[in-house]
Amino acid sequence: MSVSKQIGWLIIGLIALIGASCAHALVGETAVSFSTMMEAIFQYDRSVIDHVLFREFRLCRTLTAILAGSSLALSGMLMQTLFNNPLAGPYILGINSGASLFVGLLLMSGISIGGAQLGIVGAALLGAFVSCIFMIGLSGYLRNQISLLLAGMMFGSFTSAILSILQQMSGAEALKAFTMWSMGTLQQVSFEELSIFASAVSTGLVLALVMGKFLNVLVLGEKPARLLGVNIVRTRVIILMAVAILAGVTTAFCGPIAFVGMAVPNLTRLIFKTQQHHLLIGMNLLFGALFVLICDTLILHWSTVLPIPLNAFTSLIGAPFVLLILMRRVR
Amino acid sequence: MIEITHAIVGHQQPLIEIEDLFLKKGKVYAIIGRNGGGKSTLLNSLLGHVPLMSGNIQIDGMNVHSLRRSVLAKHVAFVASKFDGIEYLKVRDYVALGKFGSSSLMGTLQAEDIQHIEELLEELALLPLADKFTDRISDGERQLAAVARALAQDTPVLLLDEPTAFLDYKNKKRMMEKLVEIAEQKNKCIVFSSHDLALAMDNAVIFLAIHRGRLEILQQLEKENITYYFE
Repeated sequence: MSVSKQIGWLIIGLIALIGASCAHALVGETAVSFSTMMEAIFQYDRSVIDHVLFREFRLCRTLTAILAGSSLALSGMLMQTLFNNPLAGPYILGINSGASLFVGLLLMSGISIGGAQLGIVGAALLGAFVSCIFMIGLSGYLRNQISLLLAGMMFGSFTSAILSILQQMSGAEALKAFTMWSMGTLQQVSFEELSIFASAVSTGLVLALVMGKFLNVLVLGEKPARLLGVNIVRTRVIILMAVAILAGVTTAFCGPIAFVGMAVPNLTRLIFKTQQHHLLIGMNLLFGALFVLICDTLILHWSTVLPIPLNAFTSLIGAPFVLLILMRRVR
Repeated sequence: MIEITHAIVGHQQPLIEIEDLFLKKGKVYAIIGRNGGGKSTLLNSLLGHVPLMSGNIQIDGMNVHSLRRSVLAKHVAFVASKFDGIEYLKVRDYVALGKFGSSSLMGTLQAEDIQHIEELLEELALLPLADKFTDRISDGERQLAAVARALAQDTPVLLLDEPTAFLDYKNKKRMMEKLVEIAEQKNKCIVFSSHDLALAMDNAVIFLAIHRGRLEILQQLEKENITYYFE
């Protein structure tokens, strides 16, 4: 794709992002006018209740959707290149499962670490790191793409089994807290927490940008990359850190959100037909944000008729996409 | 250039004993011998992947087994026997990966590096394919692209593992002629493993024959001696 076409896509993507963000912020159980939205953003007045409500609920949810979508898509892209597997992603390879397990252990075992939200963030990050290291280790043995995929699923089943046992043993309050978290929602993040979320995503993004040229070489495989002078161990560790931060912190704040990290990077590669990772990083941020914004806008639009958890909705769209990719590969 | 002294090449058990060997710039060397004789192990030792059981290998006066990967990549480039191509990776971008070591943090190349890549694409007749994806071109074209990528590294030593193994006769011949031409014109030391003896003999390469665990250097290989080196 030529540079002018890439710029064209970027402009279209940015316009779509602004449009989708506005639509997302305006849709909800109570109507908010466009003028109220503009005033709440550009002429914020703390004494006007509409401004406060818009800022604390609507704007916060929109910004969370942008951060979550960007973060998951970027982590998926990093994993797909690292594992040399288009089916890799934080959900498929069990990163979400690891985060869920640790959050489940924290919420249902009665352990208290710091504040409730801080504890969840820490547990999810730790879980994401542990499962990332586990999958990296497995990938050394399981070169076959499908085997690795199955291993990720088995890891997911294993963690589900432990979580089921924990759920049986835990009290109603803890069970409710975990169930709500595991459905995936963009509504739990406050404005104050948003800055922590944004900082973590920015850290992951900086790491990804620094690793961009290494990712370009990693598509050749580890041995050719090593022969071109890449320090494989260091590269793996840094990418792993970026993935764990991005996927872990998103799962911590929003709960597990399935398939975004798998579907969006494949979609961007399909559209831009490139292995230039600096371009792919930018486009995954954009398309990931768009994907989650659109999904959540539809959820909000149908919420009065049919309330659908975000995790279920992204699975409904993402699962057929995985099937499509598999069929394309096998053929 | 490449200096091997008192070396025992092997992986768990000794495969080749090399007393002293000196490989020069501007020459092409073909490692020959029976299957399992240690051709690939020798190449991997030259690449620093398989440590020697004893002795040492020096390239430009530096021990390959004590060099950092990033430093070794400035002295030795490698081409595998087969490159299957990568989805959405264009030939030009693939060749440019050879400039990884000199690219900026954001992966951008300097003007002279970009010019070098264009020159290589032209020299190896790859310019018409430059914007094609590497998984959409023929095996021969891919192998040439792999050589171009290795040349882009601009190293004094080029190692190739059976570079003609998956090519048809026309492409084998073209590849062999190109290697000799590159060695002479760019003053590089080229070492490759091969079973294509006839083509190598036609192109005046120097043979490194592995026979019964020893390495012999042959300026010429007589047709009647071929079976001897494959016993």
